[in-house]
Amino acid sequence: MSEPILELRDLKVSITDQRDTQIIKGVDLKIGRGEVHALMGPNGSGKSTLATTIAGSPSYTVDSGQVIFKGEDITALKADARARMGLFLSFQYPTVIPGVTMVNLLRAAMKARTGTDLPPREFLVQLRATLETLKMDESFARRYVNDGFSGGEKKRAEILQLGMLKPDLAILDETDSGLDVDALRTVAEGVNALRTPEIGVLIITHYQRILNYITPDFVHVLVAGRIVRSGGPELALQIEENGYDPILQELGIAEEAVTA
Amino acid sequence: MAETTITTTAGTHAAQYGEDAVVAAATTRGEPDWLRDQRAEAARAFGALPMPTPQLRPWKYTDVTALAIDGYAPVTDAGWMRVQGGTPARGFAGTIADAIADADHGERVRTHLGSMVRATEGKFIAANAALWRTGAFVYVPRGQAFATPVTVTLEAPAEAGRALFPRVLIVAEPASEVTVVLRNHSGDADLLVSAVVEIIAGDDTNVRLVLDGRWGDATREFTTVRSRLGRAAHVQTASLAIGGALVKQTVEGLLEGEGSTSSIRGAALGGREQHFDFVTLQDHIGPKTESDVEIKAALAGASKSIYYGITRVEETAAGAAANQVNRNLLLSGHAKADSDPVLEILTSDVIRCGHGATVGPVDEEALFYLQSRGLDRREALQLLVAGFFRSVLKDVNVPGLEDELEAAVMAKLATAEL
Repeated sequence: MSEPILELRDLKVSITDQRDTQIIKGVDLKIGRGEVHALMGPNGSGKSTLATTIAGSPSYTVDSGQVIFKGEDITALKADARARMGLFLSFQYPTVIPGVTMVNLLRAAMKARTGTDLPPREFLVQLRATLETLKMDESFARRYVNDGFSGGEKKRAEILQLGMLKPDLAILDETDSGLDVDALRTVAEGVNALRTPEIGVLIITHYQRILNYITPDFVHVLVAGRIVRSGGPELALQIEENGYDPILQELGIAEEAVTA
Repeated sequence: MAETTITTTAGTHAAQYGEDAVVAAATTRGEPDWLRDQRAEAARAFGALPMPTPQLRPWKYTDVTALAIDGYAPVTDAGWMRVQGGTPARGFAGTIADAIADADHGERVRTHLGSMVRATEGKFIAANAALWRTGAFVYVPRGQAFATPVTVTLEAPAEAGRALFPRVLIVAEPASEVTVVLRNHSGDADLLVSAVVEIIAGDDTNVRLVLDGRWGDATREFTTVRSRLGRAAHVQTASLAIGGALVKQTVEGLLEGEGSTSSIRGAALGGREQHFDFVTLQDHIGPKTESDVEIKAALAGASKSIYYGITRVEETAAGAAANQVNRNLLLSGHAKADSDPVLEILTSDVIRCGHGATVGPVDEEALFYLQSRGLDRREALQLLVAGFFRSVLKDVNVPGLEDELEAAVMAKLATAEL
């Protein structure tokens, strides 16, 4: 494998306002360009904490270990610096930004990412193409960010940003949750359309069903802040069939200890 | 007041504020008797009235007792105000002086000037009524509309210690429509501005007023806007306060006509030690009247915003509906806001009547969301504040001006202490 796009080295993470609560207890992970990794795990295992920590959320503090992105240690970088380097997080719960249209947001974000203000015409061409890929109406771009959006619209708005910003690493934090089958398919097709051999993808999910549409190269299972198992797509299918219990039992971890 | 330093000596120019000087100046300018008498009465009121003290509720948080209005020299030349607008047939948009020179318009000015805001109401208003030098008169005949907004541009003089008394009178005959934009600009000099805007909105009219407040850092503004609304009249005021050391605006709607609607929007972007004070009154007199107030302040540095508003539904206003909201976004730990929206309901027959107030810091989740898209903290705050002001900015609705004001918001936030 060439140099990984993302590498986590023995990462330990706690809640910033509650430093004695460690959520991630030593995670190692390597994602190469063109690879799709799925990170699965029961509720409360630390999946979203890991995702937002990689993105640079101030709500979490890295106790030890490193986040290496494109060969650079970004552990101490702020979220905006990481994003400008090409890291993108699709939020589990995208935030409402009142009075700011999707176009406003996209223009500002693209300017931040590229350092130049794209001519309005070129921007519009890109926007239309991406909207079409995602089967989204143009009026969508004139609405205020996530304001009054349905669950499916919020997730598609995230993928729209992913498509416009063209990151090197996309982290999809439970992008599948709360979506009906049609919305899930649209979102997954959108992600597939935006995949290139250059981009790394980390899909964080509780369920296997999104992986029916986006086939992962690797599947990891996170339990109580540690990756307890890694494998190929067949691991996701096993979980789909039997749930997390067999893995937990094998490891001697009681479900209560995980969700507590 | 604690926030700003008063550099002028009390009463240095008191002579110019006296009745004799006011009458002499009016005579020199050849003003008609009625106007000279109006000014004389105002000058007497100015001399007799005390400065408002914090004991008066609208002045509770804006203490002007150390300020001497007559410590500022009234600007006597007329060139600092320009009035432009595409006037319809028989309509008028120009200076009050020009209007008075015309028989028909002169009669209208005589009927309405000072009819809404009486000189005896208060010290700042009295000073304005006595000493306004240039005023704007806008008249829309029945069934007519101005093709483009009327722009009243104030370019304040550069010398410090001067006082400006802008006066605006808008008379809209039934079924007419007009938008008036007041563009306020000044340099860095210490200036005092006391402005009065009177709006007479006849039946079925649509009158919009935009206050573009981009004063220099040391200007202090005291403005009173009052509208009287006829049947099914709609009056909308949108004010964006960006500049100035102290901006105090009182905006009032008297909803007399059945089914009239009054909307007041205000946005203040504070930095440094700027002090904003909005006072609103929506007085529902006629039945089925509707009012809406939305005042928003985003405060950086050690700036401060005060809001005190009354929505009153009189016994005669059956079927009224009202909404009153004040939102304050604190962009720094030193910024402060005080909010007091008041409802006075004197009838049991109201459709809905709501009010709300918030004071709080920026939503950290929204900030992280934008930062995760590559915007640094300042850029993210700029976008959030522009979005916060959107509801006010979109009501500006004057081609080009909305973008211009948004750009001014962005520019100010580019250097503000956040």
